[in-house]
Amino acid sequence: MKKWLFIFASFIVLVGCSDSFNVSFSDNESINPGIDDAFNSTYKSMDSQPVLLKSANIYDGLGGEFINYDLLLSDGKISEINKSIDSNNALIIDASDKWITPGIIDIHSHMGVYSAPGVSTSSDGNEATSPVTAEVWAEHSLWTQDPQFALALKGGVTAFHVLPGSANLFGGRGATFKNISKNTIQDMKFPGAPHSLKMACGENPKRVYGNRRQAPSTRMGNMAGYRSAWIDAVEYTDGMNEDNIDRRPKRDLAMDTLMGVLNDEILIQNHCYRAEEMAMMIELSREFNYKITAFHHAVEAYKIADLLADEGICAAMWADWWGFKHEAYDMVQANIAIIDQARNGTGCAIVHSDDAVGIQHLNQEAAKAMAAGNRAGFDISKAHAMRWITSNPAKAAGILNTTGSIEIDKDADVVLWTGNPFSVYSRAEKVFIDGALVFDMHNPKIQPITDFDLGIIQPQNNRVE
Amino acid sequence: MRYFYLSLFFLLGTSLSSETVLLKGGLVHSGDGNSAIIQDILLSDNIIKAVGDNLIIDGNTRVIELDGLPVTPGLISPLSNLGIVEINALDVTRDDESEVLTAGFSIFNAFNPHSTGIPWNRSNGITSAISTPSPSRASVFGLGSYFILDGSLEIKGLKDIAMFGRIGATYGSRAETLSMLDSLLDIGRMLGTTPIQEILELSLVEKLDIQSQDIFALGKVVNEGLPFVLETNRAVDILQALALKEKYNLNLVLVSVEEAPMVLDRIKESDTPVIIDPMDNIPNSFDELGSSLELGRILDQAGIKIMFSTQRSHNYHLMRQGSGNAVAHGMSYESAIAGMTKVVADTFKLGNRGSIESGKLADIIVWDGDPLEPSSFPKIVMIDGVIQDLSSRSSRLTERYTNKEDKPSSYKH
Repeated sequence: MKKWLFIFASFIVLVGCSDSFNVSFSDNESINPGIDDAFNSTYKSMDSQPVLLKSANIYDGLGGEFINYDLLLSDGKISEINKSIDSNNALIIDASDKWITPGIIDIHSHMGVYSAPGVSTSSDGNEATSPVTAEVWAEHSLWTQDPQFALALKGGVTAFHVLPGSANLFGGRGATFKNISKNTIQDMKFPGAPHSLKMACGENPKRVYGNRRQAPSTRMGNMAGYRSAWIDAVEYTDGMNEDNIDRRPKRDLAMDTLMGVLNDEILIQNHCYRAEEMAMMIELSREFNYKITAFHHAVEAYKIADLLADEGICAAMWADWWGFKHEAYDMVQANIAIIDQARNGTGCAIVHSDDAVGIQHLNQEAAKAMAAGNRAGFDISKAHAMRWITSNPAKAAGILNTTGSIEIDKDADVVLWTGNPFSVYSRAEKVFIDGALVFDMHNPKIQPITDFDLGIIQPQNNRVE
Repeated sequence: MRYFYLSLFFLLGTSLSSETVLLKGGLVHSGDGNSAIIQDILLSDNIIKAVGDNLIIDGNTRVIELDGLPVTPGLISPLSNLGIVEINALDVTRDDESEVLTAGFSIFNAFNPHSTGIPWNRSNGITSAISTPSPSRASVFGLGSYFILDGSLEIKGLKDIAMFGRIGATYGSRAETLSMLDSLLDIGRMLGTTPIQEILELSLVEKLDIQSQDIFALGKVVNEGLPFVLETNRAVDILQALALKEKYNLNLVLVSVEEAPMVLDRIKESDTPVIIDPMDNIPNSFDELGSSLELGRILDQAGIKIMFSTQRSHNYHLMRQGSGNAVAHGMSYESAIAGMTKVVADTFKLGNRGSIESGKLADIIVWDGDPLEPSSFPKIVMIDGVIQDLSSRSSRLTERYTNKEDKPSSYKH
């Protein structure tokens, strides 16, 4: 039976893969018309003028370091990196002794779906009413006035991926946003970014549903739950590939999401702490022929670092959180470095936050992880460690083609730091998104104030001046 | 053994108690608020004997060259669950809550010196900590104790050094919380003049099931100056707390105080120390709307004594990162160091610790870099003059999984 299923799954998915080969996320030629073109991004960048940052030190986010270079941003793009650039129409900013990095990207955020203040009426991040809720989309919960967006922007965060919570085996779709508060969710959505599907291993699903005397209440119950859903998804995908439209099944939102994964259109972001559970999830992905993009939290990733590198799966981790639950007990500070250095440095390590305070200091978290790795015997440079909070999360969010590094023609999502970003004393001085100056620590007019912040303590003032 | 600190460890042996040691040429942050200077520290019999330049030593003194490395007193966490919570989500590993006692709930006897959080925080620079009961439905939830984190089964520390409570957005009306706090403190005051049996018969005492243990603890707060530590955030609640301080002559310490900048003068006038998490700038509740990264600077510039907590469970050493962020936003560097050492010792009367001065117990950290940089790490951790082993479960796991031998990890040890 199992073997038959595996062959069946492989065949169907192979069809799906080949059909989706030419599908991009922004056009409508998907095999499933009407599914992928709903709720598309309507983001438009803010007005910008050409900006020339002079004599800067630059980490490009790919491991490169440029000391005393000029950087030109124009038409919303990174247009030139050179020793000396002249421009007669650009705004010139002296960046000597300062550092430039790509905009910081967080692959694991709940901003907007667990907004501040954290009251019950804003608890919109987890549809914890059934272990399989692949039908819900985190973006449909987003509160555009969450004051946490602006705080993250002050920490240099230009894009973030919002995920549903981890109570469910399948928690629903995640989406990526540009960090500019707008009045509609679609106006904030990162253009062309793929959806993700949040899956969760371990303690959370079995605790939440076990406490209600329903499945899953064990880790084996978790596995059975994933497999049952994938069996349904394979059948649904098969049905949707029928040439005869009348023989296709009725549309099902949850199955649409799982089918999107089988068709390589939706990326799996998998909450998973323990090593053997991550290995089991990899086996599950082989059984149903889908790809896991990243394990999240992954406190024990270091125990299977080579396996993750071989599979091309990223691990998104904290620098040092531990002890709040049993599956977070085996923390090592070198986790991120060990993942990074696996298989001759081919591992994909990401520093994530999962936290509205942590997202503001991802540079400091990367500094801790790098130092811990070097104490454990590695030789990791700052330029290299910068990948953990820029290009690697961009890759895991499926947006590396447009952001996440300082390369010609990429979106001008850039941070100017007051000093080296691996120091606690350095702060994001200016933040650019698509070439527009969206935060300036020296200019209160270029610091976002959400509706929530206006007049809430003293009517004539903003929440925090 | 891969770490440099371990070679130091072997060089010195575990105990310095019977010998004289000179820590030579470190950049010494004494903890007293003054700027760091390059100095020598002479230690003998667990005590700091002298701090100064070119100290005279005899031929039997062991000299450790520090070459300008930063030196601080051992860091003291003023708000921890060390030794009383192993895993937060597992109730069977927690000893921080009582369903029977409130004000008089002491966690002292529950302290487990073998809890994994202790070597972990010690290897990151925390040499002693106040462990506290966790917030419950009651406005006052018990007594915290002070522990020296050397892992010894002979518990070193001070029992029941402060009482903990809170005002604010929790259960029911804060008007009720305030009224309850007033009543409880009044009960404590009565203990000075009224026999305990009579107090136990009061209707409120019977209704709330207040035990004699609770009453004695409240008596210490009102009549003996036991520190009373109240978590509160909203500006007007801070004023209410200060009013209670005045009414009962409390030795008050305030925690969190996100909206303190609005009532700065009143906190300053009342000479009330505060414990803050400088990185928590999230308006987590409607009590914390004024939350900001500027809090440390504003309090420091007003001359208010500041200590540090961290929201990161199990990582109390991250108050270094928190205070580093406060300095990045304008707090003075030496106030940050003092806030992790001497201010805690002075506020809670922790005895002969918390600063690098002649006559103090030798709790000392030598750092591999700026102690406020989160990427820095201790090279030497000394408690009572004894150099501590810096291993932890975490360092053991790191060694195991960076060992490239081709065999199952369970045989790498």
